[in-house]
Amino acid sequence: MAEVILMPRQGQSVESCIIGEWHKKKGDKVQVGDKLFTYETDKATFDEEASVEGTLIAVFFAEGDDVPVLTNVCVIGSEDEDWQSYIPAGATVDGAGQTAEPEAEAEKTPEKTEETKTEPVRSERAVAAQTDTADGAISPRARRAALDAGVDLRGAGGSGPNGRIIERDVQQLRKEGRVYTSAAGNAYDTRVSGTGIGGRVRVSDTTKPVAAADEPEYTDTKLPQIRKLIAKAMHESISGMAQLTLNSSFDATDLLRLREQMKQAIDGGFAEKLGLDLPAKAPTVNDLVLFAVSRVATRHEDANAHFLEDTIRRFRHVQLGVAVDTPRGLMVPVVRNADLLSLQEIAAEVRRLAADAQSGTINPDEIRGGTITVTNLGGFGVESFTPVINPPETCIIGVNAIKTAVRVEDGNVVGYPEMTLSLTMDHRAWDGAPAARFLADLCLALENISLVLMSGSYIGGF
Amino acid sequence: MHDLIIIGGGPGGYLAAERAGHAGLDVVLFEKNKLGGVCLNEGCIPSKTLLNSAKVFEHAAHGEVFGVTSENAQIDQKKVIARKNKVVRILVAGVKAAMKKHNVTVIADRAVITGKVAGGYKVEAEGKTYETKAIIIATGSDALVPPIPGAREGLEAGYVLTNREILDLDVIPETMTIVGGGVIGLEMASYFQTVGTKVTVVEMLDHIAGATDREISNLLLKNYEKKGITFHLGCKVTGIEKGRVLYEQDGEQKSVEAEYTLLSIGRRANTNLIGLESIGVYTERGAIVTDEQGLTNVPNVYAVGDVNGRCMLAHAAYREAEVAVSTILGKKDMMRYNAVPSVIYTNPEVASVGFSEEELIEKGMAYKKQVTPMSYSGRYQAETDKGDGICKLLVDPETNRLLGVHLLGSYASEIILAAGTFIETEMTVDDIREVVFAHPTVSEVLREAVFQLE
Repeated sequence: MAEVILMPRQGQSVESCIIGEWHKKKGDKVQVGDKLFTYETDKATFDEEASVEGTLIAVFFAEGDDVPVLTNVCVIGSEDEDWQSYIPAGATVDGAGQTAEPEAEAEKTPEKTEETKTEPVRSERAVAAQTDTADGAISPRARRAALDAGVDLRGAGGSGPNGRIIERDVQQLRKEGRVYTSAAGNAYDTRVSGTGIGGRVRVSDTTKPVAAADEPEYTDTKLPQIRKLIAKAMHESISGMAQLTLNSSFDATDLLRLREQMKQAIDGGFAEKLGLDLPAKAPTVNDLVLFAVSRVATRHEDANAHFLEDTIRRFRHVQLGVAVDTPRGLMVPVVRNADLLSLQEIAAEVRRLAADAQSGTINPDEIRGGTITVTNLGGFGVESFTPVINPPETCIIGVNAIKTAVRVEDGNVVGYPEMTLSLTMDHRAWDGAPAARFLADLCLALENISLVLMSGSYIGGF
Repeated sequence: MHDLIIIGGGPGGYLAAERAGHAGLDVVLFEKNKLGGVCLNEGCIPSKTLLNSAKVFEHAAHGEVFGVTSENAQIDQKKVIARKNKVVRILVAGVKAAMKKHNVTVIADRAVITGKVAGGYKVEAEGKTYETKAIIIATGSDALVPPIPGAREGLEAGYVLTNREILDLDVIPETMTIVGGGVIGLEMASYFQTVGTKVTVVEMLDHIAGATDREISNLLLKNYEKKGITFHLGCKVTGIEKGRVLYEQDGEQKSVEAEYTLLSIGRRANTNLIGLESIGVYTERGAIVTDEQGLTNVPNVYAVGDVNGRCMLAHAAYREAEVAVSTILGKKDMMRYNAVPSVIYTNPEVASVGFSEEELIEKGMAYKKQVTPMSYSGRYQAETDKGDGICKLLVDPETNRLLGVHLLGSYASEIILAAGTFIETEMTVDDIREVVFAHPTVSEVLREAVFQLE
């Protein structure tokens, strides 16, 4: 029984997804769990896996097509099964145009793959020639054809799978003839491509470093959807706002000591002994910063806000965006109502969101609706930067590395751990002085993080 | 929107139009002056008709050694010019017919690039705007007029000439001074000396014929001096007056009589007034910078021929035009300059391809050398009296291929194609030894030289 695969709905607000890449071709056998295709929403990339076993008998859309959710994308079944009845509106591959004869369509697909295969013949010549004697590098038909024609297989490009020399390559070699000039023939080297008359390899080609001759100077890669969106958002942010960055440092002694104490309490087991309500895993420095931001931001109305050109929308609760570096690019999942969560809850939620973002399985609804964002480059040793605001938010807090600083105490120079926060603000929404006050309060809270934690979800006016 | 706009209808422009039109592209070609450009109207072709008249005259006037005596051999400069004009007319008409045959729209006006549009560029001419996906700039070059006192005034008054005016000169002057001993200067010196003018060449360098292999250019100099042309080498022209040219030799002021003065010190790429700045085309030392496909720094904008300053020869422009069109059509192609022949059509002829010995020395490249007199050729002996022509081969000792071939003697211009082919295809000396040459021909000297090689 043929099984139709639909474009999944990822989140309530997603209406269509773009097919990024097909991992299977029409006619391929698929097992349960095999990746069929990758698809992208405007924020994230997902893999669609096969839930049944069979043959991929119809593919309705091509890479790059924007497919409405819950539309038929492909069909898995047995080869003789009918897939015509599943053709969706707007299909671009199988069943494109709907009226086309199915047989003509079936022929069209292999033709297309053929076309893409003949292209890299020259670059693959190297691979093929070097594996000349290796078993399987030359198809038996090609070997036979070469023998019949008296063709030196070393000059043949392998256009088959994995650079395998197939009969077509032998025919092409016969047609092209000798591809080395007489003089260059002395330096017979199959790894170079020719720049001489009719594409012949000339002496200057054989004296060039092989890598330079064979490798293109650059590669062009089409941007994935997420990169395009990041590019658009970042450019709009910088070009559309009046951004400036304030930097302030604080003494991180308390922060580090608290964290160390928590670690020891958890690892040493005395949290359990004393019945302390501590998480199973000590919070990170970033968790502590997020906690401080969630508390301080509620007291600075313009910091936890959206600037909407003619209106400023100030939020009651903190929807805390956390910038996460993922293999697909930057993502900013949001911790909902962070000001109502405990440190432990914030830490757990951030771990969950970050893991989903990394694996690409995050629900798109979880990367929307932030009111203020924290981004952390401290792990890379960055000491100061100018974070870019996530519009329409009014600020973003950049977290830097902890470094050793010195100050004079009672005439003695003493060292202490110091952390810098980089606050970028939208000067359209608010002014330097209130932003500086917000930053100063943040530093004060972090410098005295033990007290802030002791006072629970409410902070007094330090 | 058109597929391709070509600015300039000289060899680079009209050949690009022909090839692109043949491939089915929608092509518009703009030419402000005459189709055929400098080459057809005031360069290669007209000068060759003049030089042929000189050759015929020379045979008539000096045929005694071959047993032919003719009295009162005369040259009628007006008829020479009339015949030249006729040849040019026929060839220009031929270009026109080729444009029509390949569905190329030809607009007889100056075109100016005015900017970018979505998916291409816009060009203005005749007050209209044309849009195109690609542009080939083939605006050629103009004779350089040096800032010598009196040069501009002389040009206006008519006693100072460039290649343009000299080819319409319908009198044979008593005296002529040629400023610049390059290809154009030498060809005109050869012509006018043959038809009776007393010619003096003033050259700034210590040798003639520019970058030509020195062994050849020295031999050529001897040939010309024998004919009666006076050379002042290493001299700087300091002023041009009506009737004489002033020059400086070893710090000393001298002058030479000159009814007419020809300026042939070089050519400058035509990059002005075509709107290059509107799309940001990069130029260096007055020429458009291009890559091996003729592509400029601007996508889909190509420059072929003299305007890219790489090799100011019509046949280089032809090939550059083909490479640019191939690239536009998505076909892999590239311009190679290592086997572009160059010819001086004087009597005797000079033809070269590949490296000169001086270039090899400068590059530190190893080479073997073979110089074979043309007199090894039976036909050369039969047709030439006391000829001192040579064939010089420069060979890569490692790969045994030809690096340069330099010829001085009759038919050199026609023989050079074979040498160019040997170099372009990198045939080894052993390969060349297997090639059959027609006998008796002057080209056999190549074969002889190849066998004389150690």
